[in-house]
Amino acid sequence: MTGLVRSELRKYFTTRMWWGMALSMFLVGALFAAFTGAFTLYGELAAGPGDSMVRLGDVLPDLTKARMIYAGGIQFAYMLALVIGVLSMGQEFRHKTVSGTFLAGPRRHRVVGAKVIALIVVITVNAVAFLAGSVLGGGILLATADAAVFPQPADLLQTFALMLLILVVWGLIGLGLGVLLTNQVAALFIGIALTLIVEPLIAFGLTFVDGGEAIAKFFPSQAATATLSLFSGVDPAIAEIMGASGEQLTWWGGALTLLAYALVMTLIGLWLTRRRDIA
Amino acid sequence: MSVPATTERPSTAPDAHIVVRDLSKKFGDFVAVDHLSFEVSPGRITGFLGPNGAGKTTTLRMLLGLVHPTDGTGLIGGRTYAELADPLGTVGAALEATNFHPGRSGRDHLRVLAATHQIPDSRVDSLLELVGIPAAARKKAGGYSMGMRQRLGLAAALLGDPHVLILDEPSNGLDPEGIRWLRGFLRHLATEGKTILISSHLLSEVEQTVDDVVIIANGQLVRHGTIDELHGDPATLVRTGETPTLLAALREAGLEAGDEPAQGPGAVRVGTGDLARVGDIALRAGVPVHELRALRTDLERLYFQLTESPENRNRNLAETSGGTN
Repeated sequence: MTGLVRSELRKYFTTRMWWGMALSMFLVGALFAAFTGAFTLYGELAAGPGDSMVRLGDVLPDLTKARMIYAGGIQFAYMLALVIGVLSMGQEFRHKTVSGTFLAGPRRHRVVGAKVIALIVVITVNAVAFLAGSVLGGGILLATADAAVFPQPADLLQTFALMLLILVVWGLIGLGLGVLLTNQVAALFIGIALTLIVEPLIAFGLTFVDGGEAIAKFFPSQAATATLSLFSGVDPAIAEIMGASGEQLTWWGGALTLLAYALVMTLIGLWLTRRRDIA
Repeated sequence: MSVPATTERPSTAPDAHIVVRDLSKKFGDFVAVDHLSFEVSPGRITGFLGPNGAGKTTTLRMLLGLVHPTDGTGLIGGRTYAELADPLGTVGAALEATNFHPGRSGRDHLRVLAATHQIPDSRVDSLLELVGIPAAARKKAGGYSMGMRQRLGLAAALLGDPHVLILDEPSNGLDPEGIRWLRGFLRHLATEGKTILISSHLLSEVEQTVDDVVIIANGQLVRHGTIDELHGDPATLVRTGETPTLLAALREAGLEAGDEPAQGPGAVRVGTGDLARVGDIALRAGVPVHELRALRTDLERLYFQLTESPENRNRNLAETSGGTN
């Protein structure tokens, strides 16, 4: 099993994709943190009494500001994590290396297990790149605005850990998707289309249905937002203008929901991988 | 040139026996392999022959656990591939020549596989040396020629120093020089006592290399035996202007002889491989000899007869049966 994991890690780190992806993660983190920082620190919203303008930097708690800024690129980052997961399996089908993989590991459930472990390692590396970018891009803005760069470090560390969890979970969802759809282009397209377009549309549609929000909060993107408690301590009116849906899971409810998605997709991947003919 | 073998294995290792028993595979309505049974003896090179679409690749992939049989089993040393404790150390397989990530170097491709079995990088490098691509293997596999891909595939098959090799059309896409190299390479592996099962759609390609043949058509066995059995008894062709005199002289000497009109006028077929004896008999009989040569069965013709006979003609040729050849 350790051999299979090492093999999977070698697979990832022997193509140019690994540093291209780490660099992308870093840049996404830096740019989105900087943009979010500019908005959060200097932006104004028509949320005051009588539609008067409110300066966000004044009304948001320090911790919330830092969280929002450092997690500014999380949605883009978990898209990239999804891509990493899809490619972990998709590349094998695309380049027909899957035969060799299963010849070296004929007990296929162990290969899937090795891929899961390797994916966790790979995504941790990418998460570090993303967080480094976020802290750099966001930290500069926080510092220049004379706001605390690391308010309540323990809570922020928890946020960072949860961001890592979110990235890993999306990677595993991608892995399952990559097994499900052996055409990696189709898998990437459908994965991104579902999360960026279809899911928000359905969530929006559900707001018109009685009790719809109770369902929508379990959607992967909503659960990811909930996990980071991005709107904790924020006036509900402001939160809604900033894009928070009315009903949110608790952070651990969000995390468990995401883990459930990862588990289901991994199990689908495992089941399909075991019974599939490699012709 | 020597394979840096870790241990010397006797050629008759009992676990080198390949048994295909009643193996069948249906893809929907299409029967790719139809109750196929044969055995491959340890320490011999067996040619696995059949036209494109006959079910060779599907059979090999079932033997290797990549395709699940609809019925029957394929066993290597009494175990299915998935049951092997040390897969790469037991069986080496080279399937298609395109199985590489174009952005990964050939050497790293081997290192990825090597990691699964704790095979050291030094083994990877000595194998690259052996197949003759040590420098090229450090470049990305995307730019490799067909010949280099085949060589890299062979190196991958040899990684675990297996005693069974399963090669699917290894000469596909090779230039004449590559084919010559491959023949020499296989002969070299055979002298080490490896059991080799090699598939081809052309008998002539493997004729000089194999000991045994398994010929299939439409997923069914049509012939199984040694290459010598396929050749039949040795015979001599002698041509003369005085056929009756020669026939009488040969029969008097106790040889089986008869006209062979298929070889042109004046041709006589003699049931012996001893050319000198036939020539001596002709001289003593005072008969002029215009031609004297060993008469070998035209294996290629026999092969086509076996695989193209009406009942074995490929029913599925009109359909696109991708991946089932």
